[in-house]
Amino acid sequence: MKKPECIKILDRKLDQNVLVVTPTGKTYMYWEATGREAQISQLNLGLCTPVGLGLALALPHRKVVVLDGDGNLLFNLASLADVAVQNPGNLIDIVFDNECYQSCDSFPSVTAKGVQLESIAKGCGIKNAVTVRTLDDFEAILAKALTGNELVLIIAKVEPGEDPVELPRQEARENKYRFVRHVERTENIRIINPYSRRRKKDFLPSS
Amino acid sequence: MKKESVDAIISGLKLAGINFVSMLPDSDFTDAQKAVMADKHFTCVPVSNEAIGFGVCAGAWLGGKKPALLITTDGIMASAFPLTTLNMQKNIPVLMIVPYRGSLGDGIWFVGPMAFTTEPILKDLQVAYTVINKTAEVTQTIRDAQLSAEAWLRPTAVLLAGEVIFEEA
Repeated sequence: MKKPECIKILDRKLDQNVLVVTPTGKTYMYWEATGREAQISQLNLGLCTPVGLGLALALPHRKVVVLDGDGNLLFNLASLADVAVQNPGNLIDIVFDNECYQSCDSFPSVTAKGVQLESIAKGCGIKNAVTVRTLDDFEAILAKALTGNELVLIIAKVEPGEDPVELPRQEARENKYRFVRHVERTENIRIINPYSRRRKKDFLPSS
Repeated sequence: MKKESVDAIISGLKLAGINFVSMLPDSDFTDAQKAVMADKHFTCVPVSNEAIGFGVCAGAWLGGKKPALLITTDGIMASAFPLTTLNMQKNIPVLMIVPYRGSLGDGIWFVGPMAFTTEPILKDLQVAYTVINKTAEVTQTIRDAQLSAEAWLRPTAVLLAGEVIFEEA
């Protein structure tokens, strides 16, 4: 099973309004190539799943899908325990486990040495932690997770190696603004407040 | 921590519009942290290390919440990575409330080094901060720090010192 093939399934299955959290590297670039705006991207080591947790708790009526990696998750493995305790039913955490640090010449991660993320997640209390090795199984568990209202952690065992992809044109701040404006528009809320202290009498009430 | 300090912190968080709090315990801060957890106004997310807390708060902010972190002085050091690669890189705000261990008046030997590391680290990590020693200033200062965090899209920190955190010797 290759990661780009999983991404194609995700692109087919996920509604445009599903909020997607991605790490740095090719996973972000594959997802960016799908042209969706509801993606907060380039979350570095150990931060992908925590950001997904905060987002899921802030917007419990929206599906949040995290596309994490084994190396990224391992950096802050305790975040699995914190996710388990909060147990947000709208969070689907997908870990693409290629058993290596792909961007570092495929240097092996500990999952190549027998460490089982599913066992760790279940030990934390995430009962819907599943390891999948085929595209059919990946699509089936994803479909089930999207229709349900329970926390699901999918460890997708993927082959090392990446396919060429179009280089994104945006950097981290532009990505943040695009994501925030999407949430503001779809939730009818204001998040960015550049004039937090001003004389109210100078402005319209709606501002 | 005295009850007046705890009440002032809670009042400041509410005045600032904070509705989402992440935290990791600190021995001299647990009175305030327990009070926040017991208050249904706040969504509380205890975490297993402060770096996770910065990620959780960033996610909450991206989802429209107004987050704050109640963390230790050494938690700032543990969070240099998310402060750099998340808050600084993307300009994501968060309010940090920190009992300033290592400020003058602290009488525990092992926090002494924090007198020399805490403020330089905050400056390096581009966190605007203020130190308050008087309980009467806590509530308004927390609100001010949040107003600036919102407008600047940066983390801000309120370091609690003096009578705010220290009991009589």
